[in-house]
Amino acid sequence: MKEEKKEFSLTADPRVYSAEALRLAAFVFSDRAEVCVKPGKGGLAVSFASAAPGFHPGDFMNEALNQQCRLDLAKKNSKAAGMIATKALLSAAGEKKKA
Amino acid sequence: MAQKNPAKRTSPAGPPQLLWRREGADCLVTNDFGHYAWLKCKDFNLLAAGSLGEKHPKYAELADKGFVRDRLDFEGLAAKWRSKNAYLGTGPGLHILVLTLRCNHKCLYCQSAAAGVGARNADMSVETARKSVDFALQSSNPAITIEFQGGEPLLNWEALKAAVLRARAGAKKAGKQVSLALVSNFSLMTEEKASFLVENEVSVCTSLDGPADLHNRNRLFSGGNSHAATIKWLKYFQERYKHQVPGYRTFKPSALLTVSRYSLGRHKEIIDEYVKHGLEDIFIRPLAPIGYAKKCWGQIGYGAAEFTKFYLASLDYIHKLNRNGTVIREKMAAMMLEKIVNSRDPGYVDARCPCGAAIGQIAYNYNGDLYTCDEGRMVGWEGDDTFRIGNVRADSYRKVMASAATRACVLSSNLESQPDCARCVYKPYCGVCPVYNYEVQGSLWGDMAANDRCGLFKGIFGALFALLKKPGGEAILKKWAGK
Repeated sequence: MKEEKKEFSLTADPRVYSAEALRLAAFVFSDRAEVCVKPGKGGLAVSFASAAPGFHPGDFMNEALNQQCRLDLAKKNSKAAGMIATKALLSAAGEKKKA
Repeated sequence: MAQKNPAKRTSPAGPPQLLWRREGADCLVTNDFGHYAWLKCKDFNLLAAGSLGEKHPKYAELADKGFVRDRLDFEGLAAKWRSKNAYLGTGPGLHILVLTLRCNHKCLYCQSAAAGVGARNADMSVETARKSVDFALQSSNPAITIEFQGGEPLLNWEALKAAVLRARAGAKKAGKQVSLALVSNFSLMTEEKASFLVENEVSVCTSLDGPADLHNRNRLFSGGNSHAATIKWLKYFQERYKHQVPGYRTFKPSALLTVSRYSLGRHKEIIDEYVKHGLEDIFIRPLAPIGYAKKCWGQIGYGAAEFTKFYLASLDYIHKLNRNGTVIREKMAAMMLEKIVNSRDPGYVDARCPCGAAIGQIAYNYNGDLYTCDEGRMVGWEGDDTFRIGNVRADSYRKVMASAATRACVLSSNLESQPDCARCVYKPYCGVCPVYNYEVQGSLWGDMAANDRCGLFKGIFGALFALLKKPGGEAILKKWAGK
């Protein structure tokens, strides 16, 4: 027996969600639904096709919010985050400290 | 040149970085330097508004700990940060050699994808074992630990022996401090093997899940009584430790506890079992839904709330035993306390920023494939090589350290880039796991608001800080740190 695949759609508020955040969330959910993001009336139109059983658009939007928070944080913290990551990777590779 | 008039502050200066969490009428505050303080909420409000005056009874303590903007000792605080994050200056210290996938046990929670004893093409060759040791010796870390695991590593004795001898010879040449450790279920131990291990300064570690019925329920062994074999050889190594001989150091054997659903509610019996057999450390490790454990999670798994309840009850009981003079400490707590109390890196790769994936530890699979960690290797066993960072025969050390998976794990486990973690009160002491995030939540970054591992760690930290708040609790816990 074929499992029923569902289709959903919603509009994401552009004041909260950037297109990038929605695209990142779409990648995370790529094994659960086919997600399409495009400009729409009143915001970004997000449609879900071939959604796997158990899929819920609310879960997707939570992930989009998570991604948006990460992007917002990166604007403030990218310098500090970059210094830590660079130091960790260079030290692991055995780069000697410059005089 | 005319001097400008110095700018005058028109409003009180707020605190410098302040991470905080309300606990009833109290507030816990921390900062990235690793300092913490408990405040009454009204005092926290004053601090946050920059209105905590010099005459306030808490002022001196808070100023000392870097919570007062006008009294920051930059050099002192920077030194503390460097000490707590010393691992950022070195490469992988832990090298896990998976000598075989074969095992004679079928533990319910096994994450190592163990194969049966008769499985073919599941052993690390002697040549690969030697190459793995050579690779590990290239680490930029001046002190490394090579840990032999499996399956059951004693099933591949020839490779184990070869690796031990190669490591001892190579350590001197490489000018490195090399520690060797064996993680084994002990069921295949013999006097001859034990003597070889002891004489070559290989420390031994086993699993002990509690009294016999609980241990044997978790750790199925068709060849006999798993618990009995564990205890027999624990006692053997304890005796060898007590009778040190010149020429080599003999280490105390240690044991790990893996908490399954069957363990919940039995914390007293489990801890009593450790005390009964002379073990002074118990490492209460939560289960993660990775590998084989993922398949039977419904049977053996639990949520963060259940584990936290078990952990709190265990810590409370251990604390009570300590007050009555029994020597026993919880290993996870001890490692966290090393950071909280002593601002020192305890070498725990699972809870640091960035996590130790590749840059802190490497897992060497039986076929020479290298992974970010043992958990990453298990994901690979399921057919997904996201966490594969190279091969010991084909790739150079530098190439492995610069691999895409290495970089992805470093970036995704940086707490400065995690929305929830960046402002969490436990951030100075915590760490995320990209492998867990990937397996459970579908991305390396995860979503901490719904992440059970995060919930678990918050429970552990909550328990520790609550105990540190109590006068008697602080004295005992501080003794655990740095032991």
